[in-house]
Parts: sequence; C-alpha cells; structure tokens
Amino acid sequence: MNAEGKALKVDWPRCEGRGLCAELLPERILLDEWGYPVILGPVPAEEQILAREAVRACPRRALHLF
Amino acid sequence: MIRPPALVDVAPGPLLLSGLGGGPGSAAHLSRFGPLPDPDADHLLAQFAPLAVRGRGGAGFPMARKLETVLERRSSLPGRRPVVVVNAAEGEPASAKDTALLEVAPHLVLDGAVLAARAIGARSIHVVTAADRQWAGTAVTTAIADRQDRGVRWQWHEAEPRFVSGQARAVLELIAGRTGLPVTSWAPEAVDGHRGRPTLLSNAESFAHLAAIVRWGAERYASHGTAAEPGTTLLTLTTPPQSDGRFAGVRVVEVEHGAPAGSVLGDEALRAPLLIGGFHGSWVHPDDVADVRWSNAHLRRVGASLGAGSVLSLATGACPVAETARYTAYLAAETAGRCGPCRNGLPALAREVEALAHGVDSRPRIEELTGLVRGRGACAHPDGTARLVASLLTTLDDHVEAHLRQRCSCHADLAVEAL
Repeated sequence: MNAEGKALKVDWPRCEGRGLCAELLPERILLDEWGYPVILGPVPAEEQILAREAVRACPRRALHLF
Repeated sequence: MIRPPALVDVAPGPLLLSGLGGGPGSAAHLSRFGPLPDPDADHLLAQFAPLAVRGRGGAGFPMARKLETVLERRSSLPGRRPVVVVNAAEGEPASAKDTALLEVAPHLVLDGAVLAARAIGARSIHVVTAADRQWAGTAVTTAIADRQDRGVRWQWHEAEPRFVSGQARAVLELIAGRTGLPVTSWAPEAVDGHRGRPTLLSNAESFAHLAAIVRWGAERYASHGTAAEPGTTLLTLTTPPQSDGRFAGVRVVEVEHGAPAGSVLGDEALRAPLLIGGFHGSWVHPDDVADVRWSNAHLRRVGASLGAGSVLSLATGACPVAETARYTAYLAAETAGRCGPCRNGLPALAREVEALAHGVDSRPRIEELTGLVRGRGACAHPDGTARLVASLLTTLDDHVEAHLRQRCSCHADLAVEAL
C-alpha cells in the first residue's frame, strides 16, 4: 500500500484468461491479444471497492489487491 | 535444443580459483585454510556487508541484505528455523561457472553455506545441481561425504535440465518434493521460503565469496576489485553453441571487478558483438567491447549487467540477428507453459525474430510483443527473453539495419531451430 493506492497483481500460473476482471474493471484492466489481463497502473482509493469486487469475482482466484 | 558444455577449461584466479593445484579434496582445503572459523551473525555481517557481494544468479541482489532479512524474520518467527539453499542448478546453458567451481573448489562453496547456516541458526543446507551436469552432483556428494560439520544436515537435490529450473522458486519447489518449476510468490525467499521458513537462497558462487571473505579476511578480499565493487567475479567465456546445440570451447575465469575486457578476451572478440549475462542478457556493440570493464557500474553504462557472468562472443563471425533468433527460439521452447503471456508471447516473439533474421522488418511487432510479456509471469523468463531481443534492436540497431538491407556479412542459411 502506498500514497498512490493499492496494486492489482495477477497470480499468472493460476490465471486462465477468463476475462471477468476486465469486464468488471474496464478502466483498470484490459485483455491482451490472448485474453490475459493487462493491469493499467495502481488502483486509486475511489476504485478500490470495484477492484475488490473484481478480485472476488475471479473464478480462478488469480487476482490480488495489495 | 541448446545444451551446456561437456567439457570446461578452468583458469587459475586470484581468490576462488587460486587453489587449483591442491585438488578439490577436503584434506588439501583444510591444510590450506585450517579449521573453519565460527563467527556469529554480527561478526559475519560486519565483515561481509561492506563488501557488497551480490547474488550471481542474475538478479544481482546483495547477499548481505538477504542474510539480514532472514535474521529479522527469524526473530519475529522464532518457531520457524531458517534454511540455507545453495543454488547451483545453472539452468543457463551458456554458463558453467558454478559447475566448474564445485569441481575445483567445492569446500569453499560448502564452507560458505556452513558459515551462513551457523550465523542464521539453520540446521538444514540444501544443495541443488542440474541433472545434465552430473559431474556437479558427483563433486557435491563427494565433498559432503568428505566433511564433518557439526550441527548441519546436508541434502542434495538434482534439478531437471531446464532453463527455468534454476529460478529461485523453482528450486524451492524441487526441494519441497514438487515439480521444479516457477510458481508465484508475493514475498522474497528470505521472508517466506522453503515450507514458509526464512530461507537464505543464493547462487553457489556467492557462498564461495562469503567463505573467501571469512577465510582470507575482508582486507585481503578487498585488495582485489574496485572500491565500489570489491573482490572478484567468475565469468564463463564462450562462443555460439555448435550446430548440434552444444557449447564447446568454454572457459571459466575469475576476474577482478573493474578489470578490462582485454584481460580475458582476445583481439577478435574485442571487435565483435558480445552478449553479457547469458540468454537473458544484453548485447554490447562491437565499438564498446574494448572499453568494457567487468563491473556492474561500468556495464550499466552500456546497458548491460554481469548477471550470471556468462560472456558470449561472436568473434567467430556469426550474425547477431541469426544468433538472437536461435536463442529466442530456444527460450520460447523452454517456457514452463504455466503463465499465459509467456506461453503465448514467447513463441510469437520467436517467430518474429526468426522473420527478422530472414529479412522481414518485424521490428514494430517485436517491440509490441516484448512490451506484452515483460513483468507478466511467475518468474523472470519472459522479462529476460524480452531483454535479449530488445537489446538486439537497440544496441545493435546498425547491424539489424544492415541485415535488413542484405548488407550483413552473415550467411543467409540460418540455423534457426523449428518451433
């Protein structure tokens, strides 16, 4: 945790590119050409509730908010 | 497939490689150095920390910081006894220095592990070598059988011959009895390592430097090298692997930090592209090679770092574009396949570098792909592969340009392995 906000991190071996995270948090997560998440920078305070939802929604439990 | 050398020439050196004449046995080692001192953690760190010995596995993290972190962690987790891991898995086929060191001076490496174990209160010392370098395993088991260390339990493990086997978390997986492939970790090994214990995991060479400092004293150690980077470093000097994929004519040398390139490279090599840091390393432009000094401070200025100390010269006249294509194809085949961006990105990247070698200007797509794989895996395999390819495009941009204009001296027939 720092002044700029929290960081979303992917547990890459667990991630199967289901893409729910990008649907729930499109302003922060894009999908690459193979369907795996690309995280765009740290998560500001006002986005953290949505980010936590994306973390909970991951069917592989591969997304983490630190 | 690219394979490590079957035979390695080891040259005498100022510290770690100074006792080659006495042979690798423990009797010669003890008659040279006497019994192993038993410094406590404070004394060990006082000697060791100012000498800035860095990890030699590639990341270059200061070993004293790892020791301090283990000690801090031990005091907050008194129930979890720390563990020492000597990593000589040497997954990088262009490197042979750890294997060479274990063959010629195994007791220096094991001394370092015992000193570290006593300082941090560890009882178990794990030593990992690679299955395709069996002589390293033989050297370790022979040396262990030849020692009497109080309060220390040795365990030897053999890693699968894969590029990523030497990655720290892959080594911990192997030791824990699982498949030795990288997994995600959110904390360093020193905090949360083998079975959750604070773990001092370092490259075999780093442990030998620790022993050298204690055995000879900090002053003598620091009489070599530079003020900022005291002591020496091992280098594996090589040229591109043969057509069968095996490295040949490989030499391991020990150089003082700050020594010039010409101290170990011949005139032809001083005028040819040089790959420093192995297949996860960076190219140095021929115009800069003669000015290279073997220190991280200097190498940073030409965009390189010592990494695991592998130095590959194209003095043979091989084309750097074709060679990079060949190494990228190998690295793509060596992905463990567990992380999506690496599993998909490295083969795609290898295809584009192969296209470049065949005269297609695939540079924009290569830049896109290196950006897509960086930082997106459980280990640094995608990052290292991206570094190699990116350094071809940036450092050797003039050569790539000439290659695309068919003004490259290289042979058109490429030895790029099929993906």
